[in-house]
Amino acid sequence: MSKKIVQIPLGSQHISLLEPVKFKFSCENEKIIDVDSDVGFVHRGIERACTTKFKYDKIAYVVARVCGLCAITHSLTYTMSAESLLEGEVSMKAKYLRVLMVELDRIHSHMLCLSHVSENAGYEALFMQIMGDREPIMNLQEKISGNRVQFDYIDIGGVNRDISLSVEDDIKVSLKELRGKIEDLINEFENNYTLSLRFKGIGALSLKEAQEFNALGPIARAAGLVTDVRSESNDLPYSEIGFKIVTSSGGDIYARNMVRLHEILNSITMCENIVSGIPEGEIKTKFKGKPNGEALFRLEAPRGELMYYVKGSSKPMLDRLRIKTPTFASIPAFVEIFKGQEYANAPAILASFDPCMSCTAK
Amino acid sequence: MFDLKKYRKKSPWILHYNAGSCNGCDIEILASLAPKYDLERFGVLNTGNPKQSDVFLVTGPVTFRSRERLVELYTQMPSPKVVIAVGSCTCSGGVFRDMYNVEDGIDNYIPVDVYVPGCASSPELIIDGVVKALEILEQKSKEIELPKKLFGTIKEEEGVLNLREMALSVAQKSEQINAQKSEQNEN
Repeated sequence: MSKKIVQIPLGSQHISLLEPVKFKFSCENEKIIDVDSDVGFVHRGIERACTTKFKYDKIAYVVARVCGLCAITHSLTYTMSAESLLEGEVSMKAKYLRVLMVELDRIHSHMLCLSHVSENAGYEALFMQIMGDREPIMNLQEKISGNRVQFDYIDIGGVNRDISLSVEDDIKVSLKELRGKIEDLINEFENNYTLSLRFKGIGALSLKEAQEFNALGPIARAAGLVTDVRSESNDLPYSEIGFKIVTSSGGDIYARNMVRLHEILNSITMCENIVSGIPEGEIKTKFKGKPNGEALFRLEAPRGELMYYVKGSSKPMLDRLRIKTPTFASIPAFVEIFKGQEYANAPAILASFDPCMSCTAK
Repeated sequence: MFDLKKYRKKSPWILHYNAGSCNGCDIEILASLAPKYDLERFGVLNTGNPKQSDVFLVTGPVTFRSRERLVELYTQMPSPKVVIAVGSCTCSGGVFRDMYNVEDGIDNYIPVDVYVPGCASSPELIIDGVVKALEILEQKSKEIELPKKLFGTIKEEEGVLNLREMALSVAQKSEQINAQKSEQNEN
């Protein structure tokens, strides 16, 4: 056995990657000893354009194009930070409809991640099955907002579309079906040899490392770190609709899968509670004035905490917009997890992070 | 016998590259390969290897750093090949047009056969685009297979190496145009 160090590149175009990102693994025999990452391939300059090209009331539609998977969280976080600088109040009904869309988005994003994880374990049939199970959720999103992926549902003052009674019934039926399928999937991910034995102990992150390297979202919760913006702030009515924080221990790929599956179940419960008790009221109220002052706002995206900083001075154009995304904050933790792993596991570990490069590079 | 023409028509393989898109069109491409829409019933397979693929699906408005990789992937694909631009921003720049790191659409760099609109393009539109591209692929492969003696020799310029030079010259031209634009702006 030689002790020669070999450099293996992964990316920027690779079958297991949805987006261009480049990793350079330094390997000794089969072990990864160091990782270098390059994430800037999709940088477009959105932050700059938001302060020069677009007015403050159009930015919610522009920042949705930062990322297609968590589009609704981006536009909601910006809208809420802009609303805190204006005069007016959002009705309770609009708040409930916003949470409904955010949670539906979380369900479909987590299911996409799980299907990728099973594909990278070599389980192509399960990939197809989860993608098929995900379609009813995409259908619901199309019925509520009018589009499957880029919703353009949220605007300053409320939401753009009302929900009808027939759609509410469809949501109830589809979510009930989905709950059974997710329970089957939990059984599959726990007991199937291809998934459970393959993933236990692979890509582990300890609780101490998670705190030290500032892991966020499902990665941190899988390591046992109790961090979730939904339980830490009162801006959205999460405490009324039955939100429960989901944590696990171990921090390996298996634990991350379990956290995602149980979060889907929790999101289904929340959506059902919302649909059965939507309050009466306007869907959109008028806001007065132009944004003046500074605002800092955070929300829980499917991948972790998303933070917006907005600064305005009573003009249609903003002075500054800063977006801090979950994947960007978690990169030190990613690098720590890769060290000491076998190279053959690298694509599976990468899929379990559920990285979002267009968020990171903006 | 081994008839490449027949297999190419019945089982075209696609190569997917994200040149700076927001992931919206990428997950719709995945959804169109998955059970409900099932692009695989036309024999379409998703590959990661440019040297085995016939159809090039590009998403995104082409960022400054992804343009070299885009041209490189295009030139590594064997002829005949078709290029599909998926999404509004791929066709024209869309919402990202005139941002400082964006090159406003892929047709500044490589020739495009089918444009698929929409933000994000729905799976129905993507399937429609791919089926349209298959017709163009068949037409292109017929043109290549014309008998040499009757219609003259295949020109040297259409070889793989020269296609690369052609694509590069397109890139240089658009760089010149951009330089002129920036000069005008300064003036």
